Amino acid sequence: MSHGAGAIGQSVRPLDWEEKTSGTARYAADEPPSGTLVARVLRSPLPHAEIKHLDVSAALRVPGVHAVVTAADFPAGRLYEHSGGPYSDRPPLAVDRVLYVGHEVAAVAADSATAADEAIRRIVVRYRRRKAVLTVPDALAPGAPQLHRREAGPNVAVATAEHWGDIDLAETNAVVSAEGTFRYPRVNHACMEPNTTIAWWHDERLEMWTSSQAPHFVVHELAALFGLDLDQVVCRDVSVGGGFGSKSKISEHEALAAALSMKCGRPVLLELSRAEEFAFTKPRHAFTTKLTAAADADGRLCLLDAVIDVDNGAYNHYGPSVMRAGIKQLGSMYRPDAVRWDARLVDTNLVPGGQFRGYGQPQTAIGLETLMDELAEKCGQDPIDFRISNSGLPDTTQLSGSQVGSNRLRECLAQVRDRIGWDAKRGPERRPYRGVGVSSGMHASGSYAYPGGNTSAAGVEVRTTGEVVVRFGGADAGTGQRTILGQIAADVLGVPMDRVGVIMADWDETPPDMGAWSSRGTHMGGHAVRQSAEAMAARLCELGAEKLGTEDVTLADGDVVSDADRVAIADLVDLADESADGALRIDTEYVEPKMQPYWTGIERPNISATYAYAAHAIEVEVDPGTGVIRVLHYAAVHDIGKAINPALVEGQIIGGAVQGLGAALGEKLHYEGGRLVNAGYVHYPLPRATTVPSIDVALVEGPEPAGPFNAKSVGEIALIPAAPALLNAVYDATGIRFRELPLTPDVVLAALQERDGVTPRQHHLARRPGRWQIGLFRALYPYGIHLLLDRWGTRFARRRTPRAVERVALPATVAEAVAELASPDATVIGGGTDVLVQRDQELLFPTVLVGTGAIASMRAIDEEPGGAWRIGAAVTLAELASWAGTRVPMVAEAVATIASAQIREVATVAGNLGQEKRCWFFRNGFDCYKRGGVSCPCYAVEGDHRLHHAAIGGHRCQAVTPSDLATVFDALGAEVVLTGPSGSRRVSITGLYAGPGELDLRTGELVEAIVLPASALSARGAFVKLQQWDGDFALVSLAASASIGDDRRWTAARYVFGGLAPKPWQPPRLTRALAGTVPTADAVAAVLDQDLSWEAHPLPGNRWKLDAAVGLARQATEQLLLGRTRDEEWR
Amino acid sequence: MAEPGAALRVDGDVVPAGAPGETLLDVLRASGSFAAKQACGRGECGACTVLVGDRAVMSCTMLAALVTDEVTTAAGLGDAAADLRAAFADHAAFQCGFCTPGQVVRAEAVLRESVDRSRDEVVREMSGNLCRCTGYRQIVDAVCAVAQTRQCSREAAR
Repeated sequence: MSHGAGAIGQSVRPLDWEEKTSGTARYAADEPPSGTLVARVLRSPLPHAEIKHLDVSAALRVPGVHAVVTAADFPAGRLYEHSGGPYSDRPPLAVDRVLYVGHEVAAVAADSATAADEAIRRIVVRYRRRKAVLTVPDALAPGAPQLHRREAGPNVAVATAEHWGDIDLAETNAVVSAEGTFRYPRVNHACMEPNTTIAWWHDERLEMWTSSQAPHFVVHELAALFGLDLDQVVCRDVSVGGGFGSKSKISEHEALAAALSMKCGRPVLLELSRAEEFAFTKPRHAFTTKLTAAADADGRLCLLDAVIDVDNGAYNHYGPSVMRAGIKQLGSMYRPDAVRWDARLVDTNLVPGGQFRGYGQPQTAIGLETLMDELAEKCGQDPIDFRISNSGLPDTTQLSGSQVGSNRLRECLAQVRDRIGWDAKRGPERRPYRGVGVSSGMHASGSYAYPGGNTSAAGVEVRTTGEVVVRFGGADAGTGQRTILGQIAADVLGVPMDRVGVIMADWDETPPDMGAWSSRGTHMGGHAVRQSAEAMAARLCELGAEKLGTEDVTLADGDVVSDADRVAIADLVDLADESADGALRIDTEYVEPKMQPYWTGIERPNISATYAYAAHAIEVEVDPGTGVIRVLHYAAVHDIGKAINPALVEGQIIGGAVQGLGAALGEKLHYEGGRLVNAGYVHYPLPRATTVPSIDVALVEGPEPAGPFNAKSVGEIALIPAAPALLNAVYDATGIRFRELPLTPDVVLAALQERDGVTPRQHHLARRPGRWQIGLFRALYPYGIHLLLDRWGTRFARRRTPRAVERVALPATVAEAVAELASPDATVIGGGTDVLVQRDQELLFPTVLVGTGAIASMRAIDEEPGGAWRIGAAVTLAELASWAGTRVPMVAEAVATIASAQIREVATVAGNLGQEKRCWFFRNGFDCYKRGGVSCPCYAVEGDHRLHHAAIGGHRCQAVTPSDLATVFDALGAEVVLTGPSGSRRVSITGLYAGPGELDLRTGELVEAIVLPASALSARGAFVKLQQWDGDFALVSLAASASIGDDRRWTAARYVFGGLAPKPWQPPRLTRALAGTVPTADAVAAVLDQDLSWEAHPLPGNRWKLDAAVGLARQATEQLLLGRTRDEEWR
Repeated sequence: MAEPGAALRVDGDVVPAGAPGETLLDVLRASGSFAAKQACGRGECGACTVLVGDRAVMSCTMLAALVTDEVTTAAGLGDAAADLRAAFADHAAFQCGFCTPGQVVRAEAVLRESVDRSRDEVVREMSGNLCRCTGYRQIVDAVCAVAQTRQCSREAAR
């Protein structure tokens, strides 16, 4: 019997490539059945409260509402199974109390989103607020309110304190040690497809189209929740838009959509908004790991000793096993004498943590891999050599119980050394502020964490048409499992790939399977398909032998072949008695013999059959002026066993590494009072194409008898070493050991200043009476003002009532536009890229939108007499950049940093100037001073204000004007033409603003044009911007323009900063000092320092912005002097 | 004063323009055109990218009433983008595929504007389209490969 087609090891195209690249692949929300209702969820606004009263009757009276569900619709005491046993603790809807902001209280299904939203607003809930515990220390403090009755202690869901190995021996051997407390924050999966379900109860069955990685958990949990048989729930085979763990177990939307549909018999679509996705799906668990590592005199690792606190959130979900996986890693990678831990899973009033690619391992890896570096240094060894000599070995049992077969970590480490250029880059020729770092990584291939976790089932079918169909009950959320399983069947059956199809997820069509989680897809599913395909191959050969009259047959090219003859497998189908409906089908179940279960009392179970290894190395450059880290090179070498599809394997590696980098460099969920602050991509710095380097991947292949075709897992492993390798590289570049993620510029810059012993800037507030009032107010915020305004003041918060747009006007002249704007309900719309977003954020509900795109004069850029240029306010950013390219390069450079090319195509000049502030409290629904009115607090004073708030001139509101054009136009001395009912007037850029992102317009007035003076075109300019991702709003930016005479002296220089103050800010002393001089970067920095000392009034967390401003001023000055940009220097 | 149109042209079909405040993405999906995906609804991610005329725009933050040119989604690109789609497949430039229709449309717009593109330029031009799966390298590889083949075939045609 032959494996003919040789599909294993080929980078064949994904089976669904045509659908996915042409947009015809069907995701859960696409093509809803006719009559599908829209669902919305009522969520708790408080982190901890009792529900004193809940009345949904008004919601039911809203026209178009078909169903409302609350906890009362579920049998009392019914819980999700989740981790099972004593760990199950969560009812499908809040019962009598809410435990976190966003906790589901009720759900509504209606004909339209508008009706559903209205019904949600009509539900009456009275809460009695309880004290909330929002951090692990708060939860463990004496007297803290308890979320659940827990046996392990108050708010301690699980506690474990044990060890592996010989502690006495380890302590005796230990000569050198290193220790640190490492913090890994909550991180969101941010899958591109939001969690989405269509549920339809009909004919006594629940039919589900849901964004699940593992229908197993959806089917089992729904059946248990609603008292149904398993075959009464079916998940259809839909494309799933990314999971990374978040969709690997049941989620609340599935149960709620099902409950609503069961109540009204209509299909119900429940699709999370992006804000809900960020705020209310289960993020990576935050770990605080105090780790000590010790080695003997020869540099052999002896001991790892960990104290771990895991932030569980409000329910267990899968927290117990996430914590266990994080611990297990400590005894799986290297060969210490002993590993000891004392770990607690702690309940807090935050959204529960969930399973996320890496599953506890990234959190403990930052400690382990940092301390490996520190020990290497203390032992006088190279970090790579140190890891190689301490690496776990093939064919051994690790302390954790992992029975390792193949282990090529040492080869990976050796290869990554060459690929990153380790020796040269750490050698004497090294460049300042550049560094390289390394990290190891490992991951199992599946885990026997639940009953049945060691099994997988698959069907293989041959049809009379010649098609081969694989039937597999898991789902493919983007890992390529569909293609991998097809390749395995093709290879075993010797058929070409274009005749193979794979049906997944739909248990009407497939045998049940547990699905893809814990990196088990290729190992478990691969073995199951291999086994069924081999059974099918044997059966086909049997049938073929009978047909051809010889026992000596093989499979090739879709035929059974003998020496003399051949017969198509398609023609054999009807010869088999067991064939039905033109198909011969064989289902088998694979039972993995090497796996041992967690829960049967085996002390150190070998939970997986194979273990994958990797080494990653990163080169970084740190900008000492701004604290920005640039990743220059990234090499990843993986012990994969065998890559069944190398292109897909590389994809998993690169994608995982970039997710790990995201968490290392900026991703973090920020909470204020238990509520998420950064609930959108704009405030959550996901890696962009421009922020990551081209990752170099190498695969180390070799035998792994336990794997299907020697394959080992690759789904999760690549994320794990990214952050520790980056931490080690940053240490190499700066000499600073960072122990907490993410390494945002503020953190790095502050640490550099501390390292260099820089004296903090004094702000002479005692001699600035103008700041006394605000200084006093800020000082009192923590002593009652914040609490008073937050608890009491926000009761009077102004909230806009949603209104539909009634009319869109497209005036042809400015006069017509001004006439339209006489109505207070009318708003100008340019590209709509902020107005429509503000509507979504419930900041603005105009009923008349006045488009300016048809006003010819506002769409033009014209030269005026005297050499000035008039730029129409409705000119798009793309048009402005193209006009400015050679005339005023600084304008084009600034535009290139704004948002994305798509936004720049439609966003207008006036829209950019007039966009609202981007403060993450204001934008994300906090009833703040600006959103809610004078009785409300500014949440930035007490909250996270490091990045997006003013360090100069903040008043009651700490926001800044987000427009980059404002900064640039101000530096160029531009004027703005405002036209209203009483004619036109001209104002300066600073005169344009009444406050941060607030235009000082009179009634009926609009921005008609910007006038750039002739001098703007002759001056030399530089624009530099500190941002978290390309297209982000400025954390700090600087537009500098200078006219430089023949004697190199500067005349009329203007430095204007964005992101520092409520309006574009010009340092007063600097402008005066520069005139008539030939400045240097040092001289500019010195004067700017004085300005900052006398003008700034930073909040405690954003002092660093002033230092970054000085760094940017140096950069800009150098550019002005050289006449070239920093990007050109980089190249 | 001009009046907003009552209908839109989408992938060769005529589609009702919807209520005055509706976004282009709302209108597309309500009319059964599902190639453009709603991932953020705020113009931050690029999954809803479509062509309006030759310009790639975010349909989630575009008022349908302001659209006058023909709208093309990934499903309507047709044979013009067959090479791009194949390159995405060959370079494994997608995994979950949810951002892919937007990536393909954006890439098509970038290449229609010019095929003479450096890798850096492609990276910058594509940076408004988020992808959580691939880590971007393969997307950039695919677009660069098509830029090169289109440039070669254009030169050969001269």
